[in-house]
Amino acid sequence: MSIAKPLLDYAKSLRPQKGLTQSVSAFKRLMKYHRKYSSFVVVIVVLAVLRSILFSIEPLYTTFIIINVIGPPSNTSLLGGYLLVIILAGIGFTITNFVLLFTQGVMSQYIVRDIRTDYYRSLQGKSFSFYDSMAVGDLTSRATVDLQLVDMFLRTWLGTVLNAVFTAIIIVAIILPISPTMTLIAMATMPLIFYVTTRLWIDTMPLFRNMQLIIGRLTSYIQQNIIGMKTIRIFRREKDVVDGFKEVESIYVNTAISAGKIQSKYMPLGPSILTLGIVLVYVYAGYTLGIPGSALAVAQVGNIILFARYMMRLTFPIRDVSQTLGTWIAAYAGLERVLEITDAPRNVEDLPNARDIKIEKGKLELENVTFGYVKDRPVLDNVTFTVEPGEKIAILGATGSGKSSLIYLIPRFYNIQQGSIKIDGKDVREFKLASLRKQIGVVLQDVFLFSGTLKENIAFGKPDASIDEIVQAAKLARIHEFIESLPTGYDTAVGERGITLSGGQKQRITIARALVSNPRILIMDDSLSFVDAKTEQEIQSAIEEAAKTRTTLIIAQRFSTIKTADKILVLESGSVAEFGTHEELLAKSGVYKRVYETQFVQKTSPVLEKAGDV
Amino acid sequence: MSSSYGTFSTRQEERRKRTVPDRVLIRRVYNYAKAHKRNLAIGLSATVAGAISGLGSPYMHAIAIDRIISPKNLSGFIWWIPLFVVIILGNYLFQYIQTYQMRIVGEKVVAKMRDDMMEKLQVISLRYFSEGEAGRIISRPTNDANTVRIFLRVGLTSILVDVSSILGAFAIMFYLDLRLSLLAITVLPVAIVLVWFLGRFSRAAYRRTLVTTSGLTARMQEDLAGIKVTQAYAREKEAEEKFSKSQHENVKATIRAILISSSYTPFVIGLRLVGTMIILFYGVNAVLTGTITLGVLVAFTEYQFAYFMPLVDLVTMYDQYQSAMSAIERMFDLIDTKVEISDAPPERSVAIQ
Repeated sequence: MSIAKPLLDYAKSLRPQKGLTQSVSAFKRLMKYHRKYSSFVVVIVVLAVLRSILFSIEPLYTTFIIINVIGPPSNTSLLGGYLLVIILAGIGFTITNFVLLFTQGVMSQYIVRDIRTDYYRSLQGKSFSFYDSMAVGDLTSRATVDLQLVDMFLRTWLGTVLNAVFTAIIIVAIILPISPTMTLIAMATMPLIFYVTTRLWIDTMPLFRNMQLIIGRLTSYIQQNIIGMKTIRIFRREKDVVDGFKEVESIYVNTAISAGKIQSKYMPLGPSILTLGIVLVYVYAGYTLGIPGSALAVAQVGNIILFARYMMRLTFPIRDVSQTLGTWIAAYAGLERVLEITDAPRNVEDLPNARDIKIEKGKLELENVTFGYVKDRPVLDNVTFTVEPGEKIAILGATGSGKSSLIYLIPRFYNIQQGSIKIDGKDVREFKLASLRKQIGVVLQDVFLFSGTLKENIAFGKPDASIDEIVQAAKLARIHEFIESLPTGYDTAVGERGITLSGGQKQRITIARALVSNPRILIMDDSLSFVDAKTEQEIQSAIEEAAKTRTTLIIAQRFSTIKTADKILVLESGSVAEFGTHEELLAKSGVYKRVYETQFVQKTSPVLEKAGDV
Repeated sequence: MSSSYGTFSTRQEERRKRTVPDRVLIRRVYNYAKAHKRNLAIGLSATVAGAISGLGSPYMHAIAIDRIISPKNLSGFIWWIPLFVVIILGNYLFQYIQTYQMRIVGEKVVAKMRDDMMEKLQVISLRYFSEGEAGRIISRPTNDANTVRIFLRVGLTSILVDVSSILGAFAIMFYLDLRLSLLAITVLPVAIVLVWFLGRFSRAAYRRTLVTTSGLTARMQEDLAGIKVTQAYAREKEAEEKFSKSQHENVKATIRAILISSSYTPFVIGLRLVGTMIILFYGVNAVLTGTITLGVLVAFTEYQFAYFMPLVDLVTMYDQYQSAMSAIERMFDLIDTKVEISDAPPERSVAIQ
């Protein structure tokens, strides 16, 4: 199967019909975001009216000049006054327009910020299942690239639409008293222009939406290609990657060209129709005004010029509106991608009666726990076991047996579908999420450190921790000596601008991080298997120390961990296969014994035994 | 202002100085466009023809007023109406051809460049994909390609339309009346200096927003990469506070940039009105003394409109042009990357036993 097949199927499956209704509902959502800034909107509306009036003054006064100054009778003394009005209107227009554009720009920034905040906040609340299926790059680009498109639209749309509406109204208000019939003729083409603009919108909207959606997928396809380049090289799939890319790209290009064809058909049509309307005005005026055979009065010529010039003024707002529609098409696809995430359900939430509960002992009871990422496909099936306070449980099982899922259910990173999990006799759903998670130390499989100092990273779960507490945690995690050996000690920066740590060092810092708040319950996903013997030994020793005084659940890779555990839990395809002490399970001659003999005793036991003795 | 600040493009990337001259880059892009020579030739001719036919309109107004309507010489409509309709239809047709053909060329050229980049990515040394470098490489076939696509679609044709409109308007104005033309363009240097000056401020402010935006992007990426840790330690609120601080910085910088960019258009339109005033001031006297006709005076005010807007457009296009050139340079940089390990020729390949 081609690597690009899913992407290709996706691109082919896109149907154009859906765009329009989606666009309307996205627009409504955007309007809701405007509500908070209604005072801005009022200012913009008022300024837009003012701006349209000031913009319409020049043609009117030019006509006054033609009629009253040029004459006959000519009267040059009036010229100065008229020109003064024109220039004052010009200055007024400049200021009004500037304030309007700026107000609009500020509002757009606030709205984009609000949308982004909502987006970010929703991400903070999404469960682990959500992050298991989404790429960080994609989520980030929605908040940046996609929102940038929304920003572009927000910066102009209101002013542009208002400008078109008000300018048309004001122009009609001025020319209507001069000649109602001529106004009617001049405006006769308006419905047609309106139709053309709408048509353009309806026809291109779905195509642009598809383009936006394809380009989003194409981008993550490229990202995956680059990130997974090593694997692709190893399996010699390079040609496959490129061929698939080209195929999707050509769908994109064809869509873009068909959209371009529709745009080129309709976009220049509006102004052309308007100009044809001017021809009608000239012909009508030519045949009806004045006495046949003799020249027209200057006043009449002046009025015709006024009509023609006003109509030409209207071409600009019309052009602007269809351009704004263009930015909306891009913006809405972007907005859709953002809102899709913002609106996705949270899955894991505080129940209405949740409260802060202190974990005193750390007794853990799982009863008939059933859980699956997809409904009706349980990863864990009817799991029941109890852990007494202070016990250390090693969890063993093949890849996909549900080990990680099991321990991540305790701090409610996922919600269980059936059964119950109780801590000190209280269901974990009775806890407030924050209260529950703050009291459970977690060492994730993925050793992630934030950019910042070592101190900040260790104190992550307890920002007000004293330096003694931090050092204490670091000592327990067997990383204190290493940190002390650094020139800047605990203030050493890690991450992009800081030092590079090895996997083993990172893991021990994450262990320290879990210990700093001295939790009653500790869960560890210790899957760091490929490390050298010395590191192995250090990590092992850190785990031993960490587990000493608290209830600990640990996914174990090392025999030493398993041997020193109070009890061992063996998971087999989502069910508890065996649960008991090392000796008990050996006596059982079941799965554990088999695993123990094949994996630990024969191959690696000398090293591990030695490590375990430390 | 519509260049894309990419998700992955880092600060250094934006600030890096360009080393390849524009003409070299343009020639190389042209080599890609050569495959669509026919579309390009038709598109470019239509662009120029469209701009010039668009300028015919004010002149036709002047004729209608001076020779047909004013003297009530209605028989003139017999040739005037068909001519004007032909000009309007021609203008429409040229614009249609231009937009369509240039779209084809733009999309296909960028697609081909992107294909070449993808092919290159598969063969260049793996060390280009090491940590930290991956982001920069990703942004080339994505963000950079998009910047160029937008430029080829909108920017290039606008530049052509603008230049033809300006030159055409000048030609017609000078043909109509030399003295009035010279007076009309007196505000031009002021406008150019003003726009250039604002442009410099605007570019500086814009660069600052690039920094705050990439800061915001970096914050977002790190927060999402570490989201499981944040949730495990119930630190969502603190993360949100930090993020909103980054947002605040970004909003502040962007608003400053908007303050400058908002002044462009108003000032230029204001100056245009000063120009109109000058034309009216001298034009009215010229009409009274019979040097020019009323129609010519009105046509002048319209032509002044016709060249002023494209001029502003052209100056503001400078930014878009610059960012497109940088993007093109970065794309070629990838396309030109040397292949360090290439496959041995088949006759020299050895079967592993």
